[in-house]
Amino acid sequence: MDVPGCRKGDARMNEDREGAGGIEYVVGAEKRLCEILGDEEIMPILRSALRAGVSRIEVRDSKGRVLWACGDPTGGGGRAREVAPLCLEGEPAGSIMVEIPSSGRLRLRDFTGLLSEVMNTMITNNLKRMLTAEIHTTVVDQTHEELIETNRRLRASESRYRELAESLDRKVQERTEELKRIHTRLIQQEKAASIGLLAAGVAHEINTPLGFISSNLNTLKRYMSRFTEMLDFYRGIVGEAGDGVAEEAAKKWSDLKLGFVVRDVGELISQSLDGAERVRRIVADLKGFSHVDDSKEDVVDLNTEIERTFSVLAHEIPEDAEIERDYGSLPGFLCDPALVCQVFLNIILNSLQAKKGGLKLHVSTRFAGGDITVAFTDNGPGIPDDIRGRIFEPFFTTKDVGEGTGLGLTVTRDIVTAYGGDIEVESRPGAGTTFLVRLPAEGGRDVEVR
Amino acid sequence: MIEFDREEKRMVLKLVFYGPALSGKTTNLLRLHDLLAREGRGELMVLDTRDDRTIFFDLLPFFLVTPGGLKIKLKVYTVPGQVKHDATRKAVLQRADGVAFIADSRLSETANNYSSFENLEKNLAFVGIDIETVPLVIQFNKRDLSEIVPETDIERLWRPTGIPVFMASALQGWGVVETFGRLVELTYDAVDRKWGLREGYGLEREEFVRRLTLREQGR
Repeated sequence: MDVPGCRKGDARMNEDREGAGGIEYVVGAEKRLCEILGDEEIMPILRSALRAGVSRIEVRDSKGRVLWACGDPTGGGGRAREVAPLCLEGEPAGSIMVEIPSSGRLRLRDFTGLLSEVMNTMITNNLKRMLTAEIHTTVVDQTHEELIETNRRLRASESRYRELAESLDRKVQERTEELKRIHTRLIQQEKAASIGLLAAGVAHEINTPLGFISSNLNTLKRYMSRFTEMLDFYRGIVGEAGDGVAEEAAKKWSDLKLGFVVRDVGELISQSLDGAERVRRIVADLKGFSHVDDSKEDVVDLNTEIERTFSVLAHEIPEDAEIERDYGSLPGFLCDPALVCQVFLNIILNSLQAKKGGLKLHVSTRFAGGDITVAFTDNGPGIPDDIRGRIFEPFFTTKDVGEGTGLGLTVTRDIVTAYGGDIEVESRPGAGTTFLVRLPAEGGRDVEVR
Repeated sequence: MIEFDREEKRMVLKLVFYGPALSGKTTNLLRLHDLLAREGRGELMVLDTRDDRTIFFDLLPFFLVTPGGLKIKLKVYTVPGQVKHDATRKAVLQRADGVAFIADSRLSETANNYSSFENLEKNLAFVGIDIETVPLVIQFNKRDLSEIVPETDIERLWRPTGIPVFMASALQGWGVVETFGRLVELTYDAVDRKWGLREGYGLEREEFVRRLTLREQGR
């Protein structure tokens, strides 16, 4: 049945609660008479009312519109009429109108009262049934939605766990390698720091005695010249003396080989002073290399740092080794000099150890396109193809146990990377190896190196 | 609020009697039904109650028309107290305008009262109602029994929360209308603040409460 203004069902669009969307079942949503009563219930009642002698009977909604009707259209003369209210949850929801012929035997008021009682009871019972169904539907729907949501969350968490499990291996590996790198770096820093401290201590201990050795030698040199001058003076006088004194003195002079001694003593002192000066220089270089005096960053000339590295390594470089220097003009580079010296030291040591005799090492530095490049090329045996990819790995070494840690080139690469640069190796077995270090001239300024 | 149709001038409000199982929610409604005047209220609907327990819910509807012509229907519901009927509680609680929490005064029921109140807090949040602002009263029912929580303890515990607390015996019929009356007052205040019952529809608070708590002659 279709009644204007009559709404079926209890589902409505949710307008109040934002975001919920869809259809919401509200327990207690309002119903109308036409939703609660049906043709199949009402019509038999109306028809039996007719049989009982009613001429017209109508059921109307709260606005007076006829919902159901039976009998001759209303308005004929000679009829009595009675109206009784229909209630829905205490609210007047409509009415029932009964007309009987004035001549009829029916007691109109009682009959209408009976009919309204029947219909009100029917309304209440139907409403009860509908509310029961309504709450049932609501609960089932809501439970269903909650289950779907729970299911969705379970799926999400399951896939998250699966993903976790799958990536766990990879992540563990990544973390392990990271830890290894950090560990290596720490060891190296610790080592560098203790070497630096040791060097500083030794340098200090040597410098003090060296100072008075040099100073005393200079004084001794002055004293000796006075002795020889006095000796010459005596020789002059004695040489002119008689009674065989002159001969005796000349013999003694010759026996003691004083002619040679006087000539040699000056040279001895000069050589000793040279030696002391060399010791002083070595100590100074050692201090400079360990940078115990200036451990902070500084703008340095990398050519100077390479030279400094060579002089520290002087005793390691064999006599027959040829070092060719091809230094270009470089801009100042902001860095911790100890770290860059370590880069050069490790590369040079690598070449020294690779070629024991007849080493030729060519070092060139250039500045172009904002980058400083330093290339070390040796004539060593080269690096075999199968290990070339591994030489920067921590603890990878070709040397015998105890000879190398396998950390040198790793640290070298880490330092270069920290300054925003990179390091490449070109090598062919039997044709030597080139290490190419590229450092951005400005790069070092933004990177914190530790 | 279940519905507010300004053109039709209809407002449908919902009050919910909440509480643990067997605390006397249905009895409260039965008493209201007995004590209050027939005029303006509908029949009490008790839906599918089995073994003295409410499985679905009970409904007691009220109806009044304000001087300004606004038709107000107030539906008072109970919820099933059993733990397993949580979905029904959530459904009934949706769009509630006020809540009366019916606690069982017996000492043995203290834990059940607490867990039911927690459940109320949780479900209010679930249906998007702020427990801090929703009209809420508490009734300690079954004061006629022995072995009950002393009134002083209840006072001490609940006074700081600012929630009105009532002592009642629904079985004997006292404290019930008072609980309901206070809830109706608080609900009026909340609805008036939002929709202007006094200004828009000429409905005074006292009149609203009087109409809804009008006693049946001789009761």
